[in-house]
Amino acid sequence: MTQVISIHPVTRIEGHARIDIHLDDSGQVSDARLHIDALRGFEQFVVGRPAEEIPRIVSRICGVCPWMHHLAAAKAIDGCFAVTPPPAGNLLRELCHVLAHIHDKILHFFFLASPDFIFEPDSDFSVRNIMGLVRREPGLAAEVVRMRQLSLMMLERIAGKAVHPVAAVVGGFAKPMTGEERQGLLADGRILLDFACRALRYAKEKVFCRFADEESALNPITTGFLGTVDGQGNLRFYEGLLRLMRADSSVTAFAAPDYASHLSEWVEPWSTAKMVYASAWNEGFSLDPDAPRGIYRVNTLARLNVCDRIATPLAQAELEAFRARFGRPAQGTLLAHWARLIELVYACERVLELLADERITGPLIRTPAEPRAGRGIGHVEAPRGTLIHDYTTDDNGCIVRANLIVGTTHNIAPMNMNVRRAAANLAVKATADAMFLNRIEMAVRAYDP
Amino acid sequence: MCLAIPMQVVAIDGGSDDVLDPQVALVESDGIRKAIRLEMVDRIPMVGEYVIIHAGFAIRTLTAEEAEYNLDLMRRMVEMLDEDNNTSGALQ
Repeated sequence: MTQVISIHPVTRIEGHARIDIHLDDSGQVSDARLHIDALRGFEQFVVGRPAEEIPRIVSRICGVCPWMHHLAAAKAIDGCFAVTPPPAGNLLRELCHVLAHIHDKILHFFFLASPDFIFEPDSDFSVRNIMGLVRREPGLAAEVVRMRQLSLMMLERIAGKAVHPVAAVVGGFAKPMTGEERQGLLADGRILLDFACRALRYAKEKVFCRFADEESALNPITTGFLGTVDGQGNLRFYEGLLRLMRADSSVTAFAAPDYASHLSEWVEPWSTAKMVYASAWNEGFSLDPDAPRGIYRVNTLARLNVCDRIATPLAQAELEAFRARFGRPAQGTLLAHWARLIELVYACERVLELLADERITGPLIRTPAEPRAGRGIGHVEAPRGTLIHDYTTDDNGCIVRANLIVGTTHNIAPMNMNVRRAAANLAVKATADAMFLNRIEMAVRAYDP
Repeated sequence: MCLAIPMQVVAIDGGSDDVLDPQVALVESDGIRKAIRLEMVDRIPMVGEYVIIHAGFAIRTLTAEEAEYNLDLMRRMVEMLDEDNNTSGALQ
């Protein structure tokens, strides 16, 4: 008789994930599936509402990464009402966006990911968590908390002390930045960059050295990738072209409004979750890890794979070293953690770049907008991957249609491939021991779903 | 899209001077109690306030008023799906 081992809840993964490992009569793994519960209904819920409310509503519902949804929605509504924010408004939005990336990356790497690698995978659960890190590296753990708080406080100084962001408004930003604020933020930005460089050095010495062993135990998958670049192929988080890379490294680029010509949605019979695949490749959809079709990944590793370079010097040097070692595209699932810290360095450098731009303190922060009929598609690179908001408005500026693709939606298909591979490789005769199950979870945690 | 359901804090435990005895919030939702770590939260919640949780860590504290507003939005979203006779898989 077949048996199903369920991992539920998946530790250190947001809320509602479940992994089912199916065993056949002889105890061999016959299949493994990852179920991610996602919210459905937002698209229907917003129909009829004034479009300018959407950036504020979405950040209340998606409170885990509110800034990402807030900004993608604001960009989309700009499109509906055909307005372009003035330079200061755009720079302030991007500054908030990269600061939100910084605190998210610090949280994910040190609190959720690093305990897997700092401690042996078979070490006790009571040790292999953040308190284990606090015991072993008390100075580092305290600094991690301080740095994340610093990035949050910087956000508050720019965007006001709001639990849910409200500062991005249709046509721009709600509050100008003073010269004095800018100087203070520059000083704090340098502290963050210094920490990011030290964090990456620490991870290279103490964390990433474990990757080779773990990666081979997981048996990596081979997929394409999606991320955002500017016209010169530089890594971008806040705006740019979407670039879709096949596993053979060939690329196509398109503007976010054309996403539906390249990406399509898919629902597997065993799941109600929406998946997305690269329909532009004309090869259909298959989760078979040995012969995947249409599957690409988003998130940190994907972004570093698709970009030609990073326009800031310290992150670029790290990217070059990373590429020299792992090639392009790098396929190892756990390399997403390494990529995350390179992105942390980039984000900190980008904060300084944005603050160095004289235009950021410009008094004109918002272009007046009138409600009107239109369609707008806003996209940003969120910590969990490419986030797309797509709205259509009527003559009164109210929503008549909405569609969202969030980072984890792109990654549900490749995560399922990872789970199948890892389960098959690890469980010749599967027993539900903690080490076996944790290894499978590690593959999923790399995506930060 | 991850749904950030605010959970109400019913007690705060721990928090002696020892760094190895961190404060932990007991949160409750639908009668289920969970211990939630507070190292990453923007401010330590008071009993009766709410937190948004990411992967076992509280990341944001909400006043009861803020949380009620969010919960009300979510409830209305679910009701709307019910009205559309589309409940299966609405909140998967």
